[in-house]
Parts: sequence; C-alpha cells; structure tokens
Amino acid sequence: MSGDPVLEVEDLRVRLRTPRGPAEVVNGLSYTVGAGETVAVVGESGSGKSVSVLALLGLLPARVATVTGRALLQGEDLLTMPPERLRQVRGPGAGMVFQDPMTSLNPVLTIGRQLVEGIRAHGDVSKSAARTRAAELLREVGLPDPEKALDRYPHELSGGMRQRVVIAIALSNSPSLLIADEATTALDVTVQAQIIDLVEKLQAEHGTGVIWITHDLGVVAGIADRVLVMYGGRCVEDGTVDDVLERPAHPYTRGLLGSLPDLAAPAGPDGEVPELTTVPGLPPPPTDLPPGCVFWPRCPVRADPRCETEQPPLAVVSRAAAGATASGALEEGSRLPHRAATWCTEGGQG
Amino acid sequence: MTGAPVPEPGNSPDTPAGAPGTSPAATLRPARPQWRETLSLLLHNPTAAVAGVLLLLIVVVAVLDDTFAPEGANDISVADRLQSPSWSHPFGTDDLGRDILSRVILGASVSLRVGFLAVGFALVAGTLIGLLAGYYGKWVDDVLMRFMDMLFAFPAVLLAIAVLAVRGPGSGNTALAIGIVYTPIFARVTRASVLGVREEVYVRASRSVGASDWRLLTRHILPNAAPPIIVQTSISLAFAVLAEAALSFLGLGTQPPNPSWGLMLAEGRGYIELAWWLAFFPGMAIFLTVLCFNLLGDGLRDALDPRQRTLMAGSGKAASGSAAVGGAAVAGDAAVAGDAAGSGGDR
Amino acid sequence: MNDRSASDVLVSARGLEVHFPVGGRGLRGRGGGVLRAVDGVDLDILRGETLGLVGESGCGKSTLGNALLRLVPPTGGTVTFDGADVTSLDRRGLKEMRRRAGMVFQDPFASLDPRRTVAQTVSEPLEVHGLRSGKRERAARVGELLELVGLDPAVAGRYPHEFSGGQRQRVGIARALAGEPDFLVCDEAIASLDVSVQAQVLNLLRRLQRQLGLTLLFISHDLSAVRHISDRIAVMYLGRVVEIGPAAAVGRDPQMPYTQALLSAVPVPHPAQERARKRIVLTGDVPSPSAVPSGCRFRTRCPYVFEPCDDVDPALHAAGAPGQLAACHLHGVVGTPVTRTPEGVTADP
Repeated sequence: MSGDPVLEVEDLRVRLRTPRGPAEVVNGLSYTVGAGETVAVVGESGSGKSVSVLALLGLLPARVATVTGRALLQGEDLLTMPPERLRQVRGPGAGMVFQDPMTSLNPVLTIGRQLVEGIRAHGDVSKSAARTRAAELLREVGLPDPEKALDRYPHELSGGMRQRVVIAIALSNSPSLLIADEATTALDVTVQAQIIDLVEKLQAEHGTGVIWITHDLGVVAGIADRVLVMYGGRCVEDGTVDDVLERPAHPYTRGLLGSLPDLAAPAGPDGEVPELTTVPGLPPPPTDLPPGCVFWPRCPVRADPRCETEQPPLAVVSRAAAGATASGALEEGSRLPHRAATWCTEGGQG
Repeated sequence: MTGAPVPEPGNSPDTPAGAPGTSPAATLRPARPQWRETLSLLLHNPTAAVAGVLLLLIVVVAVLDDTFAPEGANDISVADRLQSPSWSHPFGTDDLGRDILSRVILGASVSLRVGFLAVGFALVAGTLIGLLAGYYGKWVDDVLMRFMDMLFAFPAVLLAIAVLAVRGPGSGNTALAIGIVYTPIFARVTRASVLGVREEVYVRASRSVGASDWRLLTRHILPNAAPPIIVQTSISLAFAVLAEAALSFLGLGTQPPNPSWGLMLAEGRGYIELAWWLAFFPGMAIFLTVLCFNLLGDGLRDALDPRQRTLMAGSGKAASGSAAVGGAAVAGDAAVAGDAAGSGGDR
Repeated sequence: MNDRSASDVLVSARGLEVHFPVGGRGLRGRGGGVLRAVDGVDLDILRGETLGLVGESGCGKSTLGNALLRLVPPTGGTVTFDGADVTSLDRRGLKEMRRRAGMVFQDPFASLDPRRTVAQTVSEPLEVHGLRSGKRERAARVGELLELVGLDPAVAGRYPHEFSGGQRQRVGIARALAGEPDFLVCDEAIASLDVSVQAQVLNLLRRLQRQLGLTLLFISHDLSAVRHISDRIAVMYLGRVVEIGPAAAVGRDPQMPYTQALLSAVPVPHPAQERARKRIVLTGDVPSPSAVPSGCRFRTRCPYVFEPCDDVDPALHAAGAPGQLAACHLHGVVGTPVTRTPEGVTADP
C-alpha cells in the first residue's frame, strides 16, 4: 500500500453487443491496486465483475466489446496498448488465474513444458535454466516432488494441485499484478484455505498486487485489504474490508451479507436458526438496466424520491449512516474512504 | 455448467415471483413450439432456405408429375428422335423421340420415391437399433452394433447388388436394398447421440420420479438425440437418390421403359457425343437434388445446434472452442466472459 | 442409533457400499481396481428431520444420496425405506418408492429437459403415477405446485432456457414435489446458484419441509448452508460417515479431527474474526477412493494420528454431546481390527 499503485483504473466502461441489443456491462469503474495490496471485487453473476478485468487485459472479443476509460498498469495504459505490447505485458505485467484450472492448462502437454514455455516466452532463458526455474516455482507453490511433477500431465493432478500449477504459471514471470477470477470457487474449503495461504505468502514475498474476484464474502474477509462491491455493472460500494463487511452502507451489500448462512450463528431460544434475509428478485439483465438506481427494483429501503429516477454517485459514507462504532474512528488521510452509491442516508434496515 | 446446452436468450425473461391470487391453473401447451424456432433459424440461413425451397419445388413437381409433364413418359415418336432442345421440346428428345423434359419430371417421382422409401426404412430400422444399443448398452449394444459393423464392412454397392440379385430388380427392391445399406449409418449416428443424452441429468431426474424406460426413451432421449439424426436423414436422401441412379445405371434398379434419372443417364451415355442433352438433363436433375439435400442438411445442422442459437443471433461465431459457456440466462455477459476466459486462458 | 424405535426412522442404511470397477478392462477383467465411492455407511434418517450431509468433493456424498434412492445400484449392504428393503423392491414397489422419494439436482441448467416446457416437466410425475386424471386436473395441479415454489403459474408454457438458475431450481423442486413425496434428497441443490438466490432457495426448502412435513436429506459441501438448514449433520470422508450428530453440537464442538479441520477452513464474512481464526490446515490431498488407507481412513492426514489408527478401522460411537457419534479412536478404540491377508491389507472382515 505504499508508493505508486500497480494498477490504476479510471472510468472503465464496457459495452457488449448482444443478441438482445447493447449491454452496458461495466459502467464507470474506478479503482487502484497498490503493491502488495489485495482488492476484492465482489458481485453476483451478471454484475460485470469478470468482464471488467477481462477488458483490462484485452481478453474480450473486439467484435462484440467496446471498452473505454483508462487502465494504467505501472503507468502504461492497457486499453490503448498495441496488441503485441499487450501480449508482452500479460506475462510479466499481469498473471491470471481462472476458476477452472483445466481451461488454463493444455491437457496434452506436460506441466513442465507449459511452465517452460511461459518462462521462455517472456525472457531469453535457456531450456535447462527454464526447467530449473519451473521446478523452483512448483516448489514455491507447494507441489510435492516438483521435479517429478514437471513430467506429469494435468489430468494426473488433483484439482487443488492443478490450481497450484496455474498459479505457478501465472507467477512464472513475477508479475506485478495477479488477477484471480473465482480461483478457489471450484475447490473444497480445505484446499481453498491452502491456496489462499499460498497466495498471501507469495504476495508478501513479491509485493504483488492482487485483484481477487469472487462471490464468497467469507474469502473476501480473509484475504482482502479493500473491497469493491459490484452490482449491475457499477461499483455500488467500496472501502476497506472492515468498513464494507462490518459496516455496510449500501442496501445491496447488506442484503448480500444477510443472505449468508452464518456457521457460528447461535440458535434461537427454541433451537431454531433464524430465517435468512434475502434480496428478493433477480439482478437486472445488462441490456435492460433500470433508469434510476440500479438496485432500486430490488431495494427494500427506497427512502428517497431520487431512487427511481437518478443513479446515486459513489459518495463517502458518513459514519453515522454506516453505523460506525466509536472505535472505528477515521484516521484522516492514510485511510481509504468508505464510499457507497446510494441515496439512503439512514442506517438500519436492509 | 458442463455440457449444458447454452440457453437461447428468451425474449424477455421476466421475473415471475409468486403471484398469489391468480388462477393456479397452468396451461400445458408450450408458448412457442420449438420446431417453429428451428424453422425460423433455418430461414435465416439463405443457402439452406434456397435449397429447401428448391427441394419443395422438386417434390411438388414429382408429386404432380402428370400435371406438369407436357407428354407421357413413353410417348414414342420416331419422327422426332434425337432433337436438340427447342421451344417444343425444351430438354430435347431421346433416341425414341420421347420428350426428355417429361421423362425428367416423371423420373423425379421414381427417383424421389425410391430415395424416401430407402431412407425411411434405414431411418426407422437404424434409429431403433441405435436407440436400443445406446440406451441398454452392454451385450445389447455389442450384439446389435457388431451386426451393424458387418453390414457396414460390405462394400455398399456390392451389398445392394446382392439384395437385388436375391429379390430381383424393381424400384421397390431398390429402395429396400439402399435402405439396408444405410441402416448401419443411422444406427451409428443414433447410438452416438443417445450415448451422450443418456447421461444427461434430466434423464436421471426423470428416472428419479419413476419414469419407465419406454417413457425415458420416447419422451426424453429420442427428442434430444434427434438433431443429428435429422441432419443424417437429409444427407442420406442425397446419397439415396445417387445410389438409385447408380443401381439403375447398372441396370439393377428401375427397369426400362420406366423413366428414372439414373436409367436415363445410362441410356444417354451412348449418345453423349451425338446428343449431349440425353445425359445432361437427368444428370443436372440428380446434381441439383443431391446438392439441395446436402445444403439443407448443413443448414439443419446449424439450426438444430443449441449452441448455434445463442451465437447466430448477434455475436456471430465469436465463441470458438468454448462450449462450456453455460452461464445464467439473465447474465448477458456470462457468455462472453466465458469465451474470453477460454481463449485467454491457454496462452 | 439403537435407542430409536423403528417407526421414527424413514430411511436407513446398513453397511451400504457402492463400489465401481475402474480402469483396466482386460481380457479377463483383471488389472482394474475398485473405486469405493460409498464404503460401509450406517445411517438413519428420522421422519420429519432435515439431515445435512457434508463432505468434500469425491467423498461419496452424492453417490450415497443416489444409492439411497436406488438411482445408483448399491453393491453391498441394505437400504430400507419406511421399513421396506429398497434393494429388493420389484418394479412396482420401486415405482411407488420413486413417488415417495424425490430428488433435487445440483445443476438447474442440466436437470431440466431443454425440449420440454415447465408444465411438461412438472407434470411428468403426475402422469407416471397416474395421480391426476385428465389434462385439466393435471394443469391445475401444476399450477398449484408452481405457486408452492414461488413461481407464477402463467410461466408453465415456457421452456427452461427462458429462466434464470434460481427459477429453474424452483421448477426442479416443483417436479420433485409433484408426487407428494415423504422424502426429498437435495443433491448440492444450491451449489450453482448466486449467493442471494441461494438464500432464497434455502428459505424455500426450509418452508416446504415444515409445511409438507418432509424428511429432507440436504447434501452439500457448503458447511454454513448445511448448518443453517439441518437438524442433524453427518460428515463424510472417503466413502464413510465419520461423524454425525445434532447440527448445533457438530457445528460448535466437532469430535472428529476431520470435522474440526473442515469447520476451521470455512471462511466467515467477518474480517476481524477471519484474521483471528486459527485454521487447522490439513496437509496433502484426500487419498483416492480406489486406494483407501487401512485402519482409520483419515490417518494419512490426521494431526492426532496415534498407534491404533493404523490397525483398527474405527466405528461410529458416542462422543461429545448426546446423540453425537464420531468414528475416531480419540474417543476410545472401537472398531474392526485390520486383517492382513497375503494380497495386502483389507479393512473389512
């Protein structure tokens, strides 16, 4: 969280051509990722969270996607970069880890070959040196017997081990930014814990900035420094992980947190676990966003007349509104602002 | 999200929340039949649409052959023999002075009837065998499919000749012979398709509510396994018309003086330098019909492919190779995100 | 497990095994191993309760759910449904059992036939079991069922692709309920839904369970969801139930080291708690179900492994709160000694 940010995204907009007309999938997203910092992007399917990072790396098909805004990766704008430069940047600049490790690994090539290729594509390294480096990487991500693993094929490894390999490939060029898109969603909780530990350890060692895209608020609580909650292609709330998860200001964030069954929830007097609060209805399709606040049709509060007609800007949340406690006092300057895009000024409810 | 057919975005998936107070009776009739959707997709493909219209014309001509043909098929007029195409005989006349246009039109009904009968036989027999083999597996599969392999291993023409040698020539037997030759193809296509559908969760779901094998086969497996069979039907029709022509050409199919395209081609062969039109017009008829069936088959393949449905409408063929797009029906971006993930991941 | 009268138990498994042959289909069927998906499960599901079945992928929880309904044929042991032996039911008996036991599947995109309308899907059990004669009666019943699961009956004529995941899952639930079952198996029924939709479906299932007096087997890898909906929780590891007990007891004070590790790995959405949380990080991977360790099957990853773990296959026995059972030698060595045969080590007598 010191020095220049690794990534600076400013007013990112993505519009897709779909069979049902143009879809505003991302509508003006701005955030920064500092070195060694983890920014979690949270949202449900259709919120635009995945598209927003795919757009950064130019991974959306140009035929259907129009991307505008600015995205500076260490000062270089990814969005205006020529394709060859972008390809060069993807390895050493930004590594990516997707949900399904099998989509990132070539099933007919050995792990070693894929790692070596990745290493040699971005640097003038001899084959044997690359192989040594590959074994080192596998050791670093905690694969047992890395020398042997180099000659294995992806299907010979378990899901967790495969995801470690993908992380090794993503880290093979020591990127300054690592993007993990639902990287642990397909894994079991015990394996997820191992992977999260691993990423945290590597991050501490290399000072990598991490964008962690997930729908799992539990994972967010453990890994993130900052949280960005997306809904309908917009950031509806952002701030430090403590602010957003403990003092949520947007009705959507509150609804999302309320709909999580709590493992530690005490049973009521009759031994009953209380019913979950839910967010009624469905997220709006990106082709058909409501005119006012994107969350208005599902919002349980709707206190302000502007809700229906005007999209609220992302504004700093007053502490009273967020229900902040005295101990959560604001240390001016150094702390990140806690912002939410809502007309609701009252706390409570939700 | 695996292997699920990519949903075609509906017109407007509204959000039907519980609506207390409304009449609870539900209509069992589909809002919009799927065949209409397939048809509209097919008509959006110009090549297939043209082929379909042409075929329809050919069939209409074949059915109403007597009305369309200016003369009888066997009206011999020695005075008019071997006349080149003219206003009175647009396709010319043959060595016996018969009007070739009339014979091509009348031949259409022979050729197409044999084609439809043959493919109909192969379709029913092959689909049944493939369905049983694919669904029951194990020894049923082994027995049926090894038998099909034996049929398949025979050179097709030889097999047809053998059948005709036993049963004697004639258009009915020609159809039967071609039908037997094509049965293994349908059996294989059906079996492969059934093997995929059989493992679908909805089949298991249906079994879990107590549905019988018969019900599973007829209501769930066959309808969902049908698209490749339909495509195969169209393509086989083309080959059946060709096969009928070939057998008639060899003298084993339709017998003279009845007109059939293959037979006319054979008869015209001897005059190819003297009077090219004798062979040219029946040849063109075969060519056009076969081409149309093939183009229609290709069009059907695309129209029946559920993946195609999402893509044809807007984004073209953007998603190469990433079949597992799945995704939520509401999430317009899910499909594209999945594509990009697929293409970006394997750097 | 023995102190309950038989009439309290709706579904019961004894020594249930589902083994699949794997690999090497050689000429004489040799060379292949055996995948022990379910490997000796004893389980009682009480009338009107919600039993949560948790475990990691590959532990056999789905296979167990399918085997209880004979959707996967058991290779050993018995299953009884309301007193009747499920494994020896004839065609008619099986059909009746399928009416009385419904199943909700994981993937709402794959579990509905894409070529059939919602009404056709939901009315299938009605037709199969002849529950409503006549089209009009069936249509009315379909309407009722759709309302019951929170869908507008007017959508009955639509095809699955026109619905979102949550709505499709509601259709799947309506289908499972059409036969008026006593027992409902939910196999990862919320796993592929969005968070807010998961909560909707969880609430719906809980409401239906109460309203219709259903017995529910809720299979999931999501401990929080299982903890939320269940009266009792059973934990599976490598084809075996290793701990079972009242949800609160298992959730608060797990007795089996595996359950402890599993619970400690579940992230909670409270940053302060998350930072303070002590995770028991298990080393290594789950062994393959085709090479189950002898003795205690958890011993290869267990942090407390000690001498009897190698030699005695632990049985479920009382540990912790009343009604709580764990298969662990830390609570007394109870179980089957490992027999060593010339071919190797087998855990079964």
